[in-house]
Amino acid sequence: MTAQASPPVGPRRSDYPGLGLLRGLLLSEYFVLYLTIAYFAVASFFFPALLEPRNISNQLSNIWPLLAVAIGQTFVIIIAGIDLSLGATMGIASVAGAVVMTSAADKLLLGGSPLWGWALTEQGGVLANHPAALPVAIAAILGTGLVIGLVNGVFIARFKLPPFMMTLVTSMLFAAMAIWLTQSQNIVNLPDSFTNLGNGDIVSVYFGEKLTPEIKRRDILPFVTYPMLISLALAFAAHLLLSRTVFGRQVYAVGNNSRAAQISGVPVRRTILLVFVIAGFCAAVAAILYAARLEAGRPTIGAGSALLDIIGAVVIGGTSLAGGKGKISWTVVGVVFFVLLSNTLNYMRLSAFHIDVVKGLIILAAALLDVLRTRLARMRG
Amino acid sequence: MTDTVLSIRDVGKNFFGVTVLSNVSLDVGRGRVLGLVGQNGAGKSTLMNIVGGNLRSDTGSMEIDGAPYSPASAREAEHRGVAFIHQELNLFSNLSIAENIFISAMPRGPGGLVDRRELRRRTASLLAEVELDLSPDTLVERLSPGERQLVEVTKALQLDANIVIFDEPTTSLTPRETTKLFALIRRLREAGKAVIYISHILADIENLADDVAVLRDGRLVEFGVRADLPAARMINLMLGRDIDQLYPPHKSVAEPAVLLEARALSLRGVIKDVSFSLQRGEVLGFFGLMGAGRTELARILFGLDRFDQGELRINGQPMRNHSAEGAIRAGMAFITENRREEGLMMNASIAENIALASLTELSNLAGVIDGRTLVERAGDFATKLQIKSGAIGATPARSLSGGNQQKVVIAKWLMSRPVIFLLDEPTRGIDVAAKYEIYSIINDLAASGSSVIFISSEIEEVMAMADRILVMRQGEISGEFTRDQFRKEGILRAAFGEQEKVA
Amino acid sequence: MIRASLTGLLLRYTTALIFIAVLLYFGAQAPNFLGPESLANIVKQASFTGVIAIGMTFVLLTAGIDLSVGSNMYLSAMATSAILSNPAMQNAPGVTVAILAGLATGVVFGAVNAFCVVVLRITPFLVTLATMVVGRGLGTAFTESLGIEIPDIFAKFGSWSLFRAPDASMGNPALDYLVALSAALTALPTLTFALVVVCAYIVLSRTQFGRQIYAIGNDAEAARKAGINVDRVLFAAYVICGLGAAIGGVTLISLIGRLNQTFGVGREFNVITAAVLGGTSLFGGVGTALGAVVGSTLVQAVQSGMTFIKVNPYLQPMVMAAVIFMAIFIDALRTSRLEKLRRRMLRAD
Repeated sequence: MTAQASPPVGPRRSDYPGLGLLRGLLLSEYFVLYLTIAYFAVASFFFPALLEPRNISNQLSNIWPLLAVAIGQTFVIIIAGIDLSLGATMGIASVAGAVVMTSAADKLLLGGSPLWGWALTEQGGVLANHPAALPVAIAAILGTGLVIGLVNGVFIARFKLPPFMMTLVTSMLFAAMAIWLTQSQNIVNLPDSFTNLGNGDIVSVYFGEKLTPEIKRRDILPFVTYPMLISLALAFAAHLLLSRTVFGRQVYAVGNNSRAAQISGVPVRRTILLVFVIAGFCAAVAAILYAARLEAGRPTIGAGSALLDIIGAVVIGGTSLAGGKGKISWTVVGVVFFVLLSNTLNYMRLSAFHIDVVKGLIILAAALLDVLRTRLARMRG
Repeated sequence: MTDTVLSIRDVGKNFFGVTVLSNVSLDVGRGRVLGLVGQNGAGKSTLMNIVGGNLRSDTGSMEIDGAPYSPASAREAEHRGVAFIHQELNLFSNLSIAENIFISAMPRGPGGLVDRRELRRRTASLLAEVELDLSPDTLVERLSPGERQLVEVTKALQLDANIVIFDEPTTSLTPRETTKLFALIRRLREAGKAVIYISHILADIENLADDVAVLRDGRLVEFGVRADLPAARMINLMLGRDIDQLYPPHKSVAEPAVLLEARALSLRGVIKDVSFSLQRGEVLGFFGLMGAGRTELARILFGLDRFDQGELRINGQPMRNHSAEGAIRAGMAFITENRREEGLMMNASIAENIALASLTELSNLAGVIDGRTLVERAGDFATKLQIKSGAIGATPARSLSGGNQQKVVIAKWLMSRPVIFLLDEPTRGIDVAAKYEIYSIINDLAASGSSVIFISSEIEEVMAMADRILVMRQGEISGEFTRDQFRKEGILRAAFGEQEKVA
Repeated sequence: MIRASLTGLLLRYTTALIFIAVLLYFGAQAPNFLGPESLANIVKQASFTGVIAIGMTFVLLTAGIDLSVGSNMYLSAMATSAILSNPAMQNAPGVTVAILAGLATGVVFGAVNAFCVVVLRITPFLVTLATMVVGRGLGTAFTESLGIEIPDIFAKFGSWSLFRAPDASMGNPALDYLVALSAALTALPTLTFALVVVCAYIVLSRTQFGRQIYAIGNDAEAARKAGINVDRVLFAAYVICGLGAAIGGVTLISLIGRLNQTFGVGREFNVITAAVLGGTSLFGGVGTALGAVVGSTLVQAVQSGMTFIKVNPYLQPMVMAAVIFMAIFIDALRTSRLEKLRRRMLRAD
């Protein structure tokens, strides 16, 4: 005879009738969408510059790489894990690709690198100016991401290391490795075919009157770009994978109750492993987009507060840290919110340190919202 | 009964609109043992949880020594002199026996530090009371299940409470340990304490109790002096009907074909030399004390744990180092004893739960699943088992009653079309009506050619349902009984492993 | 069976084995590493990590984590140095106030973590990850990323020692060791550490509160049912961890003499490594104060050794990452072994 579960304690809806609306709003799937729209409306009232086409174009270009890596984090958080190594993965993956295809390197800066002399010379990487450079470099970037994901996945799935600790260690390891390989320099002189991936546009618009026959290139604002297509394609594929396939169901099942999932024949270990591999892959895609836009392989791409953006965007989107609940579409909204937030914080002329403070607090708020939502849902059920 | 310590007046309780206890009134006297009996789900635990401060009653009132009593927490109940010895263990394996007993009431010496000598002394004298010959410094992780249960008892003794509640305290005790516990309870009675003793073993009630209260469907159906209530009458009162109506009629449909065969299966420290075979259409009961190795055996058969030695064949195919996926592919299903932890995804919909073990079947070659088909197919099984719920694609499993949750678990396994069912305590914590339905499902499974391994701690249930009973004790099979050999005494004796008068 | 017990032994004594290996390896590479000055220096430096590792042990025992200790050190040291930068405070009472302010900052920082974990029920690693970033951001914004010089009156503390080693050798190597080590062991940071270790040891093993921490780490639900005020104990654990970080920060700053913007960055890694190498489990319920002493000395030995044999500074963090990895990997193996043993309900006869 087991004791029955005690009924949920705490305020009932009837205790605070006025809070019914707030409750409904908090529980709504679209809460963050409403929040984003409201925030945008209010912020653009104070900072009209937000609405300028140039700003919007810039912000869009900030959204796409972040979206790519946040998609990976979404998978991981759905299985109640966390990946703190995605930032470091982006850094070292971008270096791996850049080293392959750079066409010139400075001995003064990079002479101390362990790569110097064999993989990297003054004439650039081994495939410098070679037509195969682009595909090989992209393969190197994606491969790096997959390998790091695999390392995380193996130890978390097979040896049951706590995800946050394991990925903290790989983050430290690969960030240090990227800095060592590059002697903390950027690897520049990348081929145009690669940088086009970051800057190439498909639909661009010129705003204003045509005063001179020639419109300067920088006045034409790109809106539909390669990064946009790449990230949206990744998002769409991830959405289908999560919502339409056996694997997707298994991911949710593992996050919901991994013991029940295991007994029901879900290959729990394999699912966890694959999820971390997917996360590594998404980080690598983001590395391509960032490196192409910066026109450099940069070991510190994902250092500092990038990690906050990657976790914050997913959590504020509504994917639950407790696992079992999350959607790619929520993450899209979360990313838009985070980019918008950074944008307005910049307009407020806050220092980078202040921005870190605000972002840290936003993450705490997002996590608190997650806790509140879970509790509210329990009370209703 | 002249000297009333605890009086309960018209206490009632609802869970989610279901009445689990209504208008119960009882008096417990000083220096007396009250035996509380009833079927699972009759409301015994709910009532005792109200007395113990874990739950609050919706109606009614209580008094201790004439003063109003309505505890808001277990702590408050303890302060009022009520000690509750739970059936499940609440011990910390990384701490010593002494620390476990006094975890929130350690004797302090100078400087607020724990007076370890006093702690040891007090623990030693408590252990002596339950005749447990162990050092107070022994870590709990080194104790056997029976010893742990006795430590749990001493935890309550430490409170020096006036009212002591025992909830099924003997489930993992050996007969020797049981005898010691009974001696202790008699000493408590002589010391003027009021004891409430909950048990399924009516012989123990007859042995110990001065008064008996019988609960059925949340109501008190009888309350009187034990001498007026022989066991046969208690049973009638508990059931409220003939015993035949509690279980569907038994009909053996076993065929000679062997579906599963275990030979000398062993896992060090867990099970030892387990050999048996399971025939098509057979319901094979596994009976034993808690911790006898039944669940562990089921986990090994299902590939959740490995075995070191022996051989396992399913449908003639040898199985070794197989996973749960392999077991499911071989046609097995496992309904575990912990619905909440191992059976259901509480926050996922009923449909998703039902489909979980059949995802591959529901998908096409590319691994794509159509959500609508999934809900439709799951719906067929939900209807078949008469699961009472809202839309199965949107209702989370957590919102269902215990019986309906169990049916969702069964539906999940029916959908994967297995031929061997492992059922581990499938009727625990669900009401009588739902139990009957589950018994009928088991019979239907057997009739359709599936085999069932039915693990239960309720001897009546196993005897009514099984074609054959295997008894386990300390990881080994200690007895085998075919239906014509079913005798309570013999089965219990095999489970306890010692000669003892039982039932 | 022999194999199983061998693994058990290896797992139990890994830290000791690593310790010996580290000493032998670095000693072979650079004999001076085993010299009196070097060892004395390791002992002294280990005390900063060690103090914080003690605090971390409290949190880890509850199956929690505190990633914010590095930022906490920074803010606490900042409070102390900000007060001391006022010339009016550069006297004995001023120093006392400054130290107390530093410790109070650490306690408040810990209380903020505790509030988020206990009251708001946000998962500990996320809370402390956020407070790590927020704390660092606040500190840097406050100092405008400039360094703060520590006045001499306070800087003297860090190098104060009950015994002072004479500069010249005593002629006898054994005596040299003795003198250097006793100077290191009686240096203020080491004495502080020793005091903290003794207090922590007593609290963890001899008080009801300490034993309740172990109980919560073992099974928080059962602890609640056993009448333990789980929230209060958890809250205290995070506050103690904050206090540990502050003690570490304030003593370290007195030795360094200058508060830089990067003070304490990444320190959480060393601290967690030290605690886990000392036998404290990330999964809760297992660990001791003395373990943190061993662990922090080992971590410091590795770091000093790398400096001694001039390992490429770019490679050093990678080596540290490998050490942490080893620590948590062993912890995971140990924990899963314990769990397997726990499942064996039968007594081994």
